[in-house]
Amino acid sequence: MRPDLPARPDALAETSYENERMTDTKLIEGERLAPVGPIAGGPRRRLLARLGPSNPAAFPWVLMAPTLIVLFAFGVYPFLNALYIASQNIILSRPNSPRFFVGLYQYQTVIQDPEFWHALRITIWFTVQAVFIQFWLGLGLALLFRRIVLGASILRIFILIPMILPPLVAALIWRYMFYPGGGLVTYYAGGITRALGLGEIPFLSDPSIAFHTLVFVDVWEWTPFMFLMMTAGLASIPRQPYEAAEIDGASSWRVFWTITLPLLKPAILIAVIIRTMDAFRTYELIVVMTRGGPGNATTTLNVYLTKTGLEFFDASKAAAISLIMMMIIIVMSLIFIRAMRMRSQSAA
Amino acid sequence: MTKSHTLMVSPDAPPVQRNWWAYVIILIICVFNFLPYLYVVMTGFMDATTSNRPEPQWFFTPTLEAFRFLLFDKNLMHNFRNSLVVSLSATFLSVTLGMFCAYAIARFDFGGRDDVSFWVLTNRMMPPVAVLIPIFVTFQTLRLLDTLTGLIILYTAMQLPFVVWMLTGYFRDIPRRYEESAMVDGDTWFQAFRKVTLPLMMPSITATAIFVMILSWNEYVFALFLTSTGARTMPPAIVAYSIGANISWNVLGAAVVLITAPLILFVLIVQRQLISGLSQGTLRK
Repeated sequence: MRPDLPARPDALAETSYENERMTDTKLIEGERLAPVGPIAGGPRRRLLARLGPSNPAAFPWVLMAPTLIVLFAFGVYPFLNALYIASQNIILSRPNSPRFFVGLYQYQTVIQDPEFWHALRITIWFTVQAVFIQFWLGLGLALLFRRIVLGASILRIFILIPMILPPLVAALIWRYMFYPGGGLVTYYAGGITRALGLGEIPFLSDPSIAFHTLVFVDVWEWTPFMFLMMTAGLASIPRQPYEAAEIDGASSWRVFWTITLPLLKPAILIAVIIRTMDAFRTYELIVVMTRGGPGNATTTLNVYLTKTGLEFFDASKAAAISLIMMMIIIVMSLIFIRAMRMRSQSAA
Repeated sequence: MTKSHTLMVSPDAPPVQRNWWAYVIILIICVFNFLPYLYVVMTGFMDATTSNRPEPQWFFTPTLEAFRFLLFDKNLMHNFRNSLVVSLSATFLSVTLGMFCAYAIARFDFGGRDDVSFWVLTNRMMPPVAVLIPIFVTFQTLRLLDTLTGLIILYTAMQLPFVVWMLTGYFRDIPRRYEESAMVDGDTWFQAFRKVTLPLMMPSITATAIFVMILSWNEYVFALFLTSTGARTMPPAIVAYSIGANISWNVLGAAVVLITAPLILFVLIVQRQLISGLSQGTLRK
């Protein structure tokens, strides 16, 4: 598309009309409207003038209105609705039973439910482990990629494949890989363990192993994302500090800790926040691979929530859980931002 | 000291080809990342008896048995079409709406700007499962359950925060004076936006649209609970045919091929735009 030429004849006509209009308003109103553009003051255009580009107080709201309305309908309204549902005693499977206001009772049941604390522990532990491993592997991979040139763009595609795959498909693939009797990993790993005189490894059926299997798959799936973010971050670091360090004869280890890592901080902040929030609500992976089991060994908050709401049909308790979850996520991201800000200040 | 020198190579330095070990590690990771997918794809072309043997089969005569089963017996084309319509429409709508919002946040200095942009972002923090029940009830009252329209509106809303958040940064990188000079030359605000800002933004908008497209194509949770047969998209349909009793692995493989083939093809085609769009901000500095 060439920006300097109007694409259609009628666009040309439109332009010349606008030009004409401009010339007579420019002299009168030109200066006053300078920063955002001229608008004729005719009566037909009064509304436009009030809400149009010439009014820097109202115009951004006009531009944002469609987005804000949609987000309100699908973000705020469900949230308010969840608040309402959590204050009632709604059981979806019993639509005719009387509903009444129960205050904070639902939150109380959630907090007193040991299942909730178990799910919270599992979720946090899963998130921390997965994001920590992904971050270091992704950063390492990004640094490694700076050392190669030939074929880098093709190799990058292969690296990115797990991330391009739908999370659902990644989960299906690994469910198959780890399937007892027939899965690729179970078969070959089983060959080794049998040689050592042990049985097949119960990747998905042993409570303590299943959790690590899930972390492993999440790392497989999302390390490419960290790699991508770190690559972008590394590309924006200027050369000068490296040249200075080279002149001073700093060791590569020191260069990494004192130059690369601090300068990468903005990219790290964004990548870790995005990943943490996504890992915190991992759903497909767990539902497809273990369904929260065996027992409740991999029941994260998300799985606990869906079980409560859509298997036990306790909509009110589920709403309370989802609100508690949201609060945790918001507090978490605030802590992240605060911590990063404080550290960058003390470094400066 | 020579060792530290190689680590300090900056991106635009001449290639250092002595790093053969970097190639070795990267190749191993590539195989590790690609092999599981490749094997599942291969399974899709096996016949039922081959794919269900306990030991892995690396060599076999390919057959389209599983594809025939899914496409003709199970009419998966219907779900494929639904997925395509939903993700294309949601991408178009969310990028179009989000673009103007991002522009407003990036360009205008109005009261409450930071609050608005933070609020937009908080919409993405919500776990989808958490709003499932209220949305289900709303869809029920509006008769949007199991309709493509309902899914399109919902996905648009889901992707908007991401679109706004991505594009705000890129809009900020485009100097205001380009538009201003266009307006001095006699263009209205919209003309300046369309003829100057939009072409400059095209790479980033394309990259964002690609992401939104992929995310909508992959969405599973809402599609599972809000559709039944008429508007069912690929992800829940595929799970139905690949998990459960008496399902052979070649069907799972074929299902994986059918849902990922368009995606992989699409990413390969637009790879260049994706990378140029993502690095737009950095390059212009």
